[in-house]
Amino acid sequence: MPGRLARITSAMDRLYEFDREAVTPDKLQSGAKFAGLFAGEHVAATEFVIGAFFVLHGVPWRDLLLGLLLGNLLAVLSWTFICAPIAVRTRLTLYWHLRKIAGPGVTLIYNIANAFLYCILAGAMISVSATAVGLAFGVKTPGLDAVWPTSVGWVLVAFGLGAAFTAMAILGFERLSKFAQVCSPWIFIVFIAGALATLPDLGVQGDFGNFVAVAKTRIWNGVAAEGQEPFGFWHILFFAWFCNLAMHVGLSDMAILRYAKKWTYGLYSAFGMYPGHMLAWICSGIMVAGIGRSMEPGRMAFEAAGLAGVIGLVLAGWTTANPTLYRAGLALQTVTPGWPRWKITLAAGAATTVLACFPLFFLKLLDYVAIYGLVLMPIGAIVFAEFWIFPLLGLESQLAEKKGWTFNWRALFIWLGTLAVCFALPIHLYFKWLPGWFIAAFGYTAASALRRK
Amino acid sequence: MKKYFTIMAVLSLVACLAAPVLRFLDLVSESGFRLAFLLASLAWFIAATVRVSWKK
Repeated sequence: MPGRLARITSAMDRLYEFDREAVTPDKLQSGAKFAGLFAGEHVAATEFVIGAFFVLHGVPWRDLLLGLLLGNLLAVLSWTFICAPIAVRTRLTLYWHLRKIAGPGVTLIYNIANAFLYCILAGAMISVSATAVGLAFGVKTPGLDAVWPTSVGWVLVAFGLGAAFTAMAILGFERLSKFAQVCSPWIFIVFIAGALATLPDLGVQGDFGNFVAVAKTRIWNGVAAEGQEPFGFWHILFFAWFCNLAMHVGLSDMAILRYAKKWTYGLYSAFGMYPGHMLAWICSGIMVAGIGRSMEPGRMAFEAAGLAGVIGLVLAGWTTANPTLYRAGLALQTVTPGWPRWKITLAAGAATTVLACFPLFFLKLLDYVAIYGLVLMPIGAIVFAEFWIFPLLGLESQLAEKKGWTFNWRALFIWLGTLAVCFALPIHLYFKWLPGWFIAAFGYTAASALRRK
Repeated sequence: MKKYFTIMAVLSLVACLAAPVLRFLDLVSESGFRLAFLLASLAWFIAATVRVSWKK
């Protein structure tokens, strides 16, 4: 038995994927792979919740359309002009690049924070999928104000799904991409199908003639549900932009884009943004209106598309939780250098599974997404400043590596200081990150310039 | 052989899309739509999985 176990662990160790070294030219991936990966990742279980929450927040129809169009455009441009150029020049993950800039001490803190935030996000996806699986076992979806696990059945369903998702995440990038390739086009169709099949119930005629009228009065009618804050154009624009803030402006997607042949591959993010973060959100809005504005993703998918809808919801959670757990594994790898990838992902998966039992994370998903991006954003700004602004000013970069520092105290101070300022700013949570990015980038540059003097 | 599975995958995806369109136009019942969508989805997963796993 121990010999067999050793063989299995040895086989898993061979899944090593150049995480700690620059990607070599023979490992670069085609544009189609990026299109598939972005498409698979951004048509997710959380889309069932986000689009539905916009309806509950009473977003007017016009604000929704304009906000999503422009916000997603800004997100695509952030991937293309901020994340991709640094990724293809360094060919490293953010974690290993940050180590050179901020030192292993700051990287350790960043990675722990990052891994924890990723685990919560993956946990939220498992929770959403659990609302679908729970239908089969009569497990009730927790109410909007739920924080703690609401029943033993809920915990059992979340645990089962967490174990399955973790097993897939252990298999690695190539297989994940293959899995996303199979699932993502179909999951997108589930959103379209569910929305189309719901429209007649809302009174939309076969020629779409009254669609806008129905949309304005019965779906995005500008009336927020009880207890929900009213949202408008700027909320939607900023939400669409910062929804993946940690990935583009925060540079986490260097882990993916380091495999790109050119920086323009950042534009492939549009394959995730417009189908996933625009059409799918619109479709889930229609579906939630079809069940009387009740936040029950599982029932919503079932009522809209039957059993296939439920399967779609589970697979949507699976395909998005997988790369999230994969990233959590990458983040933790610098903390536990002696551990093989599979063991790290297993640890992240176990933590995620526990978090998935708490419905709070999917029921407060919009706020969590904002906090998640905000916490990691200053590090992206610091790396950006070192990469683009430092050479212009003749400042020396990557000092932690050159001087052998464990901690780049300036980077740590600017990161934490930016967060303190952001949380103190008297503006809506969704808007805090933008001034924060400038504070971090220019604050770090100024502090480095002062040190030279 | 991979070519046939590609065609089958595309056709099943088209069928997945056709089912809700027919439901929207009130040409099939709700249960008919759900069954058609489920069967077309099954066909997609078989064809697409074989296509992706096919070795030259």
